[in-house]
Amino acid sequence: MAKTEVKSEITGAVWKILVKPGDVVGVDEPVIILESMKMEIPVLAIDGGKVTEILVKEGEAVNEGQTVAIVEV
Amino acid sequence: MSDSWRSETEEIHQRRRWAEEHGGPEAVAAHHAAGRSTIRERISTLVDEGSFQEISALTGQGRYDSGKVQRVQPAPYIMGLARIDGRDVALGGEDFTIRGGASWGSERRKGGQGGFIEDLAFNYRIPLVNLIDGAGGSVASIKRRGHAVFPGVHGFERSVELLGIVPVASAVMGVAAGGPAGRAVLSHFSVMVKGTSQIFAAGPPVVERSMGIKLSREELGGAKIAVDGGGTIDNVAESEQEALEMVRRFLSFMPQNVWELPPRHACDDPVERGDEELLGIVPKHRRTPYNMRRVIELIVDRGSAFELQPTFGKSVITSLARLDGRPVGVIANNPMIYGGAMDHKAARKQIHFTELCDTFHIPIVFLVDQPGFMVGPQAEMAGTLREGMRAVYVGAKATVPIVTVVIRKCYGMAGMAACDKAGLNFKVAWPSAEIGNLPVEGGVRAAFRREIESAEDPAARQVEIEDELRALASPFRMAEAFAVEDMIDPRETRAYLCRVLAAAESRLKTTLGPKFQSGVRP
Repeated sequence: MAKTEVKSEITGAVWKILVKPGDVVGVDEPVIILESMKMEIPVLAIDGGKVTEILVKEGEAVNEGQTVAIVEV
Repeated sequence: MSDSWRSETEEIHQRRRWAEEHGGPEAVAAHHAAGRSTIRERISTLVDEGSFQEISALTGQGRYDSGKVQRVQPAPYIMGLARIDGRDVALGGEDFTIRGGASWGSERRKGGQGGFIEDLAFNYRIPLVNLIDGAGGSVASIKRRGHAVFPGVHGFERSVELLGIVPVASAVMGVAAGGPAGRAVLSHFSVMVKGTSQIFAAGPPVVERSMGIKLSREELGGAKIAVDGGGTIDNVAESEQEALEMVRRFLSFMPQNVWELPPRHACDDPVERGDEELLGIVPKHRRTPYNMRRVIELIVDRGSAFELQPTFGKSVITSLARLDGRPVGVIANNPMIYGGAMDHKAARKQIHFTELCDTFHIPIVFLVDQPGFMVGPQAEMAGTLREGMRAVYVGAKATVPIVTVVIRKCYGMAGMAACDKAGLNFKVAWPSAEIGNLPVEGGVRAAFRREIESAEDPAARQVEIEDELRALASPFRMAEAFAVEDMIDPRETRAYLCRVLAAAESRLKTTLGPKFQSGVRP
């Protein structure tokens, strides 16, 4: 089982976490939603699989390139 | 027949056969084992079959015995004329199997900056393709010459001049440092291969010695750094073959030189095609982003979009494409990245793309969803305002026809960089457009503070004022006032743009030739 990191492409604040560990996500499915520049911008899973970890909390600031979740493919 | 030139002629063919052996079977096998093709293989993959006319295969270092040639080690640069999609190009590249492609110090250079290949492209007014695989000069040349030379003895003058005359495409196929790295950047389009090519001003040994940092070539100048991080190179390819395919693709949009119009291709995609998907592609909820790449795909000729720098400055998308077969440059904001706000990288990308289109007479279509310049301390530190105003400046200097389609937001100075203020200033809006000097939410509290604070319920009053102003900012009211020149059904976008750009072709014909540039970019 390979683990892939779900990374944010932008800097922003975590607005909503859409999944929890154990959930299964598909390719390009949103994992969390960030608030940045007044927009609600989804962070998408690059690979589909089982979410094993969520590394951020709602309200937390996230940097560009930061890993926000781990998905087991 | 003893008075014929048969034996000398046979020697020409013999010497050509030696040239085709590169640096010998072992060097070629090692090169292949590293997952790389030879320069001759690269050329034959790139060009139309059988079209390569090599020039100067006989150049090299001869070994003689009693005045009779035994062998010639070819010069480590292969070049000549070829055709791509039936059109002539000048192309060349270092032969890595011969001393790592290092320049070998002839009086007249075959390739590289100031080399014959650049003169050929310049004098014949045909595109130049550089297949780069070399580390440039070596300090050993001091020993051979007996003295040092000033930097630029083989200078970039011609490489620079070419950028205003003919298309230049560079594929970094191996390691590029020094002069070859400089030439890769002095191109209209550059591409490198993931994992097998790297580019840097100076390689790991120099970095370790001068900074004490130990890095692999890939860590220092692989695609992650050079393409995604620095934007030093435009695109990354998964394989050598894909990189060469991208070079072909890029050139398919380009004229042979600045005196010609870009080539129009046959188009079997109906001009009137209006996809229903466009009607709902922009979400009604103003804070929800959408897929701008899909918007581009739905509007331009099917399958024609070729995105440049897709992984750098990602809040703007710069894509060559076709509309009714005519090349067009699409500059579209990407709401998925900072809501499409212009940061310093996006500005840099937009500037380069605008100049590319302007130089080669390719009209520009802006698909606008621009909330403004990126804000915040990091953005200020990165010089966003300065880079952004440079984008405004370069946009205002462009003389190609520019059409602006406002998809959603168009605000502020960055919004200004998305229209042709110095030209026709032709702007059309989708019904989802919201346009203004400032976004309503941002300005209401400051502009109406007294009124809001004195209200019984200040928060409710603020919302009321915002709603009132937003209604006035409706694109319908702007169209009534001719503040935008038209409003269009999103499904009509393709047909509308095709019609307008067909008419604008007459204008393009009047500005052919090199473009005079003056002034100081901010």
